[in-house]
Amino acid sequence: MSDMTALDNTAADTLPTLRIDRVTKSFHTAKGKITAVDDVSLDIRQGEFISIIGPSGCGKSTLMNMVGGLIADFDGQILLDGKAVRGCQPSIGMVFQEESTFPWRTAIENVAFPLEAAGMERDRRVARARELLDLVGLTGFENHYPSELSGGMRQRIAIARTLAFEPKVLLMDEPFAALDEQTRLLLGDKVVQIQQQLRQTTLLITHNISEAVHLSDRVLIMTFRPGRIKRVVEINLPRPRSSEMMGSEKFAKFVAEIWHDLREEASKGLRESEAAAAAR
Amino acid sequence: MVAVGQMNEARRARRLRVSSVTTYRVVALVLVFASWEIAGASGLFFRGVIPSTVLIAQAFVRLFGDPAFYTHFAITLFEIVVGFVIGSSIGVIVGLALGINRFTGEVFEPMLHYLASTPKVVFLPILLILFGIGVGSKISLGAMSCFFPMALSVAAGVRTINPMFLRVGQSLNLSLGNRIRKIYIPALTPPIATGLRLGFGIATVGCLMSEIKLSNHGLGYAAMQSYNRFDIPTMLALLLVIFTLAGLGNYLIGRLVRLPGPTNRRVTALPPR
Repeated sequence: MSDMTALDNTAADTLPTLRIDRVTKSFHTAKGKITAVDDVSLDIRQGEFISIIGPSGCGKSTLMNMVGGLIADFDGQILLDGKAVRGCQPSIGMVFQEESTFPWRTAIENVAFPLEAAGMERDRRVARARELLDLVGLTGFENHYPSELSGGMRQRIAIARTLAFEPKVLLMDEPFAALDEQTRLLLGDKVVQIQQQLRQTTLLITHNISEAVHLSDRVLIMTFRPGRIKRVVEINLPRPRSSEMMGSEKFAKFVAEIWHDLREEASKGLRESEAAAAAR
Repeated sequence: MVAVGQMNEARRARRLRVSSVTTYRVVALVLVFASWEIAGASGLFFRGVIPSTVLIAQAFVRLFGDPAFYTHFAITLFEIVVGFVIGSSIGVIVGLALGINRFTGEVFEPMLHYLASTPKVVFLPILLILFGIGVGSKISLGAMSCFFPMALSVAAGVRTINPMFLRVGQSLNLSLGNRIRKIYIPALTPPIATGLRLGFGIATVGCLMSEIKLSNHGLGYAAMQSYNRFDIPTMLALLLVIFTLAGLGNYLIGRLVRLPGPTNRRVTALPPR
């Protein structure tokens, strides 16, 4: 029996935490079939930070929604620790781009929400939520309502709330898109610090190149429709990282390299949307 | 110096406005009383139709000394409260069912809209047969009356909930019960509060309507009896009691139902002072 567990543990160490295996998703629209995600495969190791970058309409959000379980109908397989994922499950946590904190709950009640729904007793969940608020740098704001806080603070509440369930994989769909550039950089620093501290396996969707370089171990560049993986860039910048690295030559090289590949896809997307506008 | 002068100016202007509002209210009340007395004394109406306020005051004294009045009062209050609670609760449940499930909403909501605009008193004969002449028919008409605004208000409210809140629930794989208790209900507090405020008045109307039509108890019945005896001062005193009851109920709901959030705002038509 103990041998079995030992075996399982070693297996878990070598197996990827999340495996996306030949995933394809098509939508049927009035204009015909649109393939949003085409034959995407990807292995994510425990503790890894991966960013997916691509032009608007490349299907990156679709991919994220499939991993998160909001889209359960697709071809191929998504495996979490070797088990197939279809539909939502708490071991995959999602942070959304849009405002998602509950305005009727204080910061601490928001963070404790998943624990409360799971039936954790009050003292324990409040203590846990307090730890998480400390982690995201919101000590002292426990009893503030979201409307009394800034957009960046609200998004940190949303991140803390998702982390409350200790998800195996954290999915973030452009979580900083609605924030101003400076807040975005500082929040990036915070996220990278938390991710390293928790060794949290993270998958980030973004269209901001320097953000992807700043945070990630690997950056995946996706093609414009149909969404395929065009290239994977290893970001071997040293850790710990901070937004101050953005001035370095190596950082600039990564950004330029990614933009070189992304540019072509982005212009395809732009041409297509202009053609669609002209046709209207 | 200028700033201080402006502040004093603003304060004076506000005080002036408040005091003039109070003045006008008092003047309006005095005018109502005076015209009532003048109309009564003018002889333009049948004698006794517009009794002097003194007679009404005397009727009040007699009423409050009469144990039967308290029984009527208690029965009416009981009917309104029970009808209101039943109708509002079912209204919330049905509203949620219509709002959450698109299909049931599309099938049943138009029907509900048509029924909502029908005067509920047309159902009174059926309710009398079903529940008898006692409190049952009154409670059911009251419940029926306040059910509709609540159900429609909640159903419409569900569609205005920020979809992100629901996606959070979905991504956590919450059960339907948890989603309703922890996301839908708190997000729906404003429409539910509106439903309660509207509903209380309408439930009062429903209960009193059926008391007036056919019954053997309650304030509506007592008022009709006074009317049949042509005891207009007592009838008017009873109407004023009903009026106060409805107003007080509405006021209490406004005080008790609070919108969740930072200010703990009360649900009132007037901005809080």
